[in-house]
Amino acid sequence: MTRSASRIRLLPAAILLVGAFCAALWLTFDYAGPGEPDIARWIDTAHTTGSINVVSAIYLNARLFDTLLEVLVFSVAVLGVRFYLDERGRRESVESIPESHVLRLSSDLLLPLILLLGIYLTVYGHLSPGGGFSGGAAAGTGLLLAAIALGADSVAQRFHESILERVEWAILLCVFFLAGISAALGRTPLTDLLPPGTPGRLASGGSILLYNILIGAKVFIGTWVMIHHFIQHRGEI
Amino acid sequence: MEINGVTVSILLFGIALLGLILRRDLVVKLLALGLINSSTILCLVSLHARPDGAAPILQTPSGPEIVDPLPHAMVLSAIVINFAILALALVFVMLLVERYHTTDSQRIERETSEEERS
Amino acid sequence: MILALFPLLRFALGVLSIAWGRGRRILLIASHVVDAVLISFLAAALHSGRVTTLILGGWERGLGIALVGDRIGLTFAALAWGLSVAISFYTLNRALRPYFYMLLHLLIGACYALIFTKDLFNAYVIFELLTLTSFLLVGYERRPGQIWASLRYLVLASLGMGIFLLGVAVTYYHTGSLDLDVIAVRVAAAPDAGWIPLAAALLVSGVAVKAGVFSFSLWLPSAHSLAMPAVSALLSGLVIKMGVVELFRLSDVFPLDFTLVVLGSMTAAFGIVYAVASQNAKRMLAFSTVAQIGYLLIGFGSGTVAARLGALDYAVAHGLFKALLFLAVGEAALVTGTTDLSELTARRDAIPLSTRAALLVGTLGIVGMPPFAGFAAKCVIECGIQRSAVHAIVALISVGTTVAFARFLPLFRRRGPWIDVWNRLAAYAWLGGAVLLFLPLSRTMVPRSIWSESLNGLAFVEALGAILLGLLIHRLLRGFRIRLPRRIFRIEEGVLVILGGFFLVLLLLRFA
Repeated sequence: MTRSASRIRLLPAAILLVGAFCAALWLTFDYAGPGEPDIARWIDTAHTTGSINVVSAIYLNARLFDTLLEVLVFSVAVLGVRFYLDERGRRESVESIPESHVLRLSSDLLLPLILLLGIYLTVYGHLSPGGGFSGGAAAGTGLLLAAIALGADSVAQRFHESILERVEWAILLCVFFLAGISAALGRTPLTDLLPPGTPGRLASGGSILLYNILIGAKVFIGTWVMIHHFIQHRGEI
Repeated sequence: MEINGVTVSILLFGIALLGLILRRDLVVKLLALGLINSSTILCLVSLHARPDGAAPILQTPSGPEIVDPLPHAMVLSAIVINFAILALALVFVMLLVERYHTTDSQRIERETSEEERS
Repeated sequence: MILALFPLLRFALGVLSIAWGRGRRILLIASHVVDAVLISFLAAALHSGRVTTLILGGWERGLGIALVGDRIGLTFAALAWGLSVAISFYTLNRALRPYFYMLLHLLIGACYALIFTKDLFNAYVIFELLTLTSFLLVGYERRPGQIWASLRYLVLASLGMGIFLLGVAVTYYHTGSLDLDVIAVRVAAAPDAGWIPLAAALLVSGVAVKAGVFSFSLWLPSAHSLAMPAVSALLSGLVIKMGVVELFRLSDVFPLDFTLVVLGSMTAAFGIVYAVASQNAKRMLAFSTVAQIGYLLIGFGSGTVAARLGALDYAVAHGLFKALLFLAVGEAALVTGTTDLSELTARRDAIPLSTRAALLVGTLGIVGMPPFAGFAAKCVIECGIQRSAVHAIVALISVGTTVAFARFLPLFRRRGPWIDVWNRLAAYAWLGGAVLLFLPLSRTMVPRSIWSESLNGLAFVEALGAILLGLLIHRLLRGFRIRLPRRIFRIEEGVLVILGGFFLVLLLLRFA
């Protein structure tokens, strides 16, 4: 079967089925919802946990199990990248892009800001939009900027691979410990044991702050590890 | 039939599906996969968006009523999962491209089934 | 409390396996002991009539995630435990990296989490974790065929989960809750609402991609046949059942019975035809898995108590003997260097006796020879099926399975070397023993009345008759080579068929 022939057979079938699928979704979508959704219960949830970011109260307290699983998904992804892009194909040193003053200067200015923004998003996750995931991703991308400007090898020298790996597993174990400690004490698993505190202050929200910091660190390290392995495998940035 | 986030997301879903089926390049297939997940996330968010709603942060001088925060929590998880899937799929695409020196999915398919048969 | 400990302890042990790499085997054994203790607690609670419900975090229903420990949960937890013990035996002597053990622990932990959860979005996240871990396990040995097969698996599973998430979005928009019990109440209150077929079709399509249902799972044959034997056994025996579990949970919410029966019949037909036509031993096993999943869906969709219990019973039985078959065929392929059926027969002298015995027990199980595993469960299912058309389909499945597996017969003649490693023997003995002793074991699961009604002389005659008929057809068909299209197993066709399947489910739901 030649290439164009098989593609011609595919095209009408694809357009028909995909078009029908979209039409089915579009037309049968019933916008008449059940009326006003019950948001008051989520506001009460937020009050109980002590955080003023309602979404944080949900995914780091009421639905903590989902977040645990999601952290595991992320860890598995980092693990997979590490396993497959390891050993063979790893270049000894990474060619960096030619030295550029503009890049160097702007990264000197921007890098501390980006890292600081990442830390702010993580630590203030229960007071304003943000949280561990976005803060960690921001800080990890900042390291990517550093790798572009300063060279991936010099950044990698400051963050030793073996230490990073151990810190990652330590963080995961801490997360499980925090989550499981209520089960060990005989209460319902995954309950928050820290006091809610006064909403609006930094020290509030129970364990939400701790989770945010742990997850932020994990995502930061994970993002950097992934980027670094891709760079090393490719051999140039 | 109004044009809102939901219809746009369905349109994007359809475009991404077409891309996944019709384009032969593996990297484009990955982009299409990412777009499928992103359009689902867009659908989830825009279903519960209101023009007069506020972000789900409790403010002391209570302003407009906040939107439903549960879809936002769902979206957070969905985004991280999407990221993880794309990263791993990209790794596998890299391994395949290194082995077969092509990003054409049909060629890889053919060469893999030949290897399997022999 | 126990319900939450199942997945959490497994996850923690998984992380420890890679943090303390040297102790990974000890941790594996420890995990089995811990799980056995937890299962016995759960069984004791169920035996005294209590169905444990737990809402994580101590919140009320609708705010937190609800877990439930009912009969379905106990059954599949026991299956997961049994299979993970078998896999541990099988892989104990290989130098596998800590990475493999962590993935294994996470896979089993995710299975536990899915078995007990009653929350829609929780199911989504767990399915994604299952997809990622099984995708990584399939590609563990880094052979190009494996990598391509697992990439196809990832793309199609991801698409399926995207469709599932759309279904969750629609369901949440209309019911305001993610908890399956609350959704069931709201659906029952307005069963003719316009959104229900769409939401149900999206959810079912998404889960069907993972469950091995006919048009949604064209990734299955390649992924299951190309993986390591231990991984294939786990995937076919356990992970596939997770999709089926979710379909069972969804059928409590939406009226899915008719849909399940039709989908199951199509799945079974597809699986049997391709299994008979396949020349590769592992691919045949994979297609046979598809056919048996169809059988499970037919059983569950028939709606009666007996059929549902029988379906659960059969799910466990199938997990056991399919895992045994994959492990044995894997060993045989390793020793003879080929997976082609005719080549295996030609080189059968190299296959150890214990592997052949394991193959024999597994084959007896899957064709339904009384009084072993398959027969015991099939009786209960057939006792619960009322419509004669469905009976005919079920009979065809039995006959077809025998035709496909009759090709293993030549392998059992002529003695072979007894050389086999102790851990393989242990794995075979564990699974084979369960297959042989299934009848008395499953008496604990099925109540007495259904038991005595199903185990009658007619059932014996039917089973033996199906086997004999299958052997006859195999004799007649020997030498015929059927060529079936292989193009449908590519990614592009896979996506198209998923979309087609979605429309099929939508149609079926409107007719229900």
